[in-house]
Amino acid sequence: MRIEVENLTFVYSEKSKSLQYKALDDISLTIEEGDFFGIVGETGSGKSTFVQHINGLIKTQKNCKKFTVGEFDLTDKKCDYKSLRSKVGMVFQYPEYQLFAETVFEDVEFGLKNFFPNLTQEERSEKVKQAIETVGLDFERVKNKSPFEMSGGQKRRVAIAGVIVTRPEVLVLDEPVAGLDPKGKLEFIKLLKRLHNDFVKTIIIVSHDMDLVAENCNKIAVLKKGKIVETGSPKEIFCQKNIVENSGLDLPLTAYLQRELEQNGIKLNSDLTVDNFVEEVKNYYCKIKGGK
Amino acid sequence: MKEFSFGSYYPENSFVHKMDARVKILLSIAYIVAVFLVKNNTWINYLGFVPCLLFVIIVAVVSKIPFIKVVKSIKTIIFFVILSALLQIFFNKSGTPLWKNGFITDKGLYNAGYIFLRIVLVVMGASLLTFTTSPVEIADGIESLLTPLKLIKFPVHEFALVMSIALRFIPTLLDETDRIIKAQTSRGADFNSGNIFKKAKALIPILIPLLISSFRRADELADAMDARCYAGSKNRTKYKKMKLSLRDLIGTLFTALLIVGVCFL
Repeated sequence: MRIEVENLTFVYSEKSKSLQYKALDDISLTIEEGDFFGIVGETGSGKSTFVQHINGLIKTQKNCKKFTVGEFDLTDKKCDYKSLRSKVGMVFQYPEYQLFAETVFEDVEFGLKNFFPNLTQEERSEKVKQAIETVGLDFERVKNKSPFEMSGGQKRRVAIAGVIVTRPEVLVLDEPVAGLDPKGKLEFIKLLKRLHNDFVKTIIIVSHDMDLVAENCNKIAVLKKGKIVETGSPKEIFCQKNIVENSGLDLPLTAYLQRELEQNGIKLNSDLTVDNFVEEVKNYYCKIKGGK
Repeated sequence: MKEFSFGSYYPENSFVHKMDARVKILLSIAYIVAVFLVKNNTWINYLGFVPCLLFVIIVAVVSKIPFIKVVKSIKTIIFFVILSALLQIFFNKSGTPLWKNGFITDKGLYNAGYIFLRIVLVVMGASLLTFTTSPVEIADGIESLLTPLKLIKFPVHEFALVMSIALRFIPTLLDETDRIIKAQTSRGADFNSGNIFKKAKALIPILIPLLISSFRRADELADAMDARCYAGSKNRTKYKKMKLSLRDLIGTLFTALLIVGVCFL
């Protein structure tokens, strides 16, 4: 599903002059099907407000010219939000805080029951099993456990299983790695990649973790004070010094190294993923060695 | 839900906003007393409500609050007000019937109007207090006003602390509720359809996470207070000291004028 946005402005507390707050200011953006799209920017730049629009959790305000997600037109009041939400999964920050059911099975089943009430018990069971296994948990061992007696990392997996159980085409993740330990983070990225190769066509990720963004996203939008500063590939974004500095961004490690090396006269041209960076270093090394 | 601002505090920079919270609380009570002082005998006594209404209008103008907001504050109790007025109209048997064998009496009608005006005026006046005074100020004001109760060993400080913590966490919990509602909505939860039992059941996915997070927050707050050696009321100083000023005197005189006016009419 292709996502197209034109002139999206969103104001909180529109009616009250003293409390009014403009969270999004004239945003136009296209996210192609198949993108692994990153949205970055400092706190309060409107990232979360924007991604919540995609799921119809925040309704567009009058002046928005166009907002389509696949065949769904979000500027239309009669838009079928339920069916939209079954196709656009949303993982919130700290998703483990949304768990509520007595068992892991019931919690994961929740979305399925809501979106597809006509499925038989077996079909549902099968889908829940798949979802739980996709996030790397042992179905037989966890299905009857209470989600509240699990560890933080496991809880988060259960919560994510609860979102992907409906096999959404678009998955939106708001700060998904916040609070995970390094190992958990690594596994999480692997999971995302697996999903992207499997049924999730488009992944949209909001993050402060530039390494994560540079490593995985093919396109990035930088937000500042509700406006889009720039969109482009990680390379296009992170190699422009002024964008990074003006938008309160951090550099991914690869971009940092590349910049430092450049200042020492070694010019690399990687796309900022670790593999490609190593490749570039190798090539450079071979070149000077061969030159000797 | 982000549109929801707690209570009805309406931030402005006005004469009334800057008044001492304690004085405002006391004056609100005085105002309510004044409304109840309006005599209750004949139709001419309705005139007693005029100064009260004038008072509300003047305070609203001085505090730069749109009068329409003050009027809207009766929205929540309008059902109750109309019900009590109707009860008076239909069930008051004293006085003379308006027409032969009718069950509506002049006394009933008179009482209905009287009760209606009384409640509406009281609520509008009370709303002015919450419009011009932030919840925290009100809590501080109440604490200060209750200080004499310390003499009978009433834990005033603890009481006020509980009150201000509760007030402090209302917006936080609202945010949290908002987030959980959104998270469950995106998983297809539907809170608006079905009969009342279905609707009640639909609340479970919100209430349980909310309950759990409240406990978590309470624990964290207790730890944070312990870590800073919080030990209750002894020798605690205040960041914002409340001070009486000329403004409060003017406000008091103005309210006194109202009471005198009501007593004379």
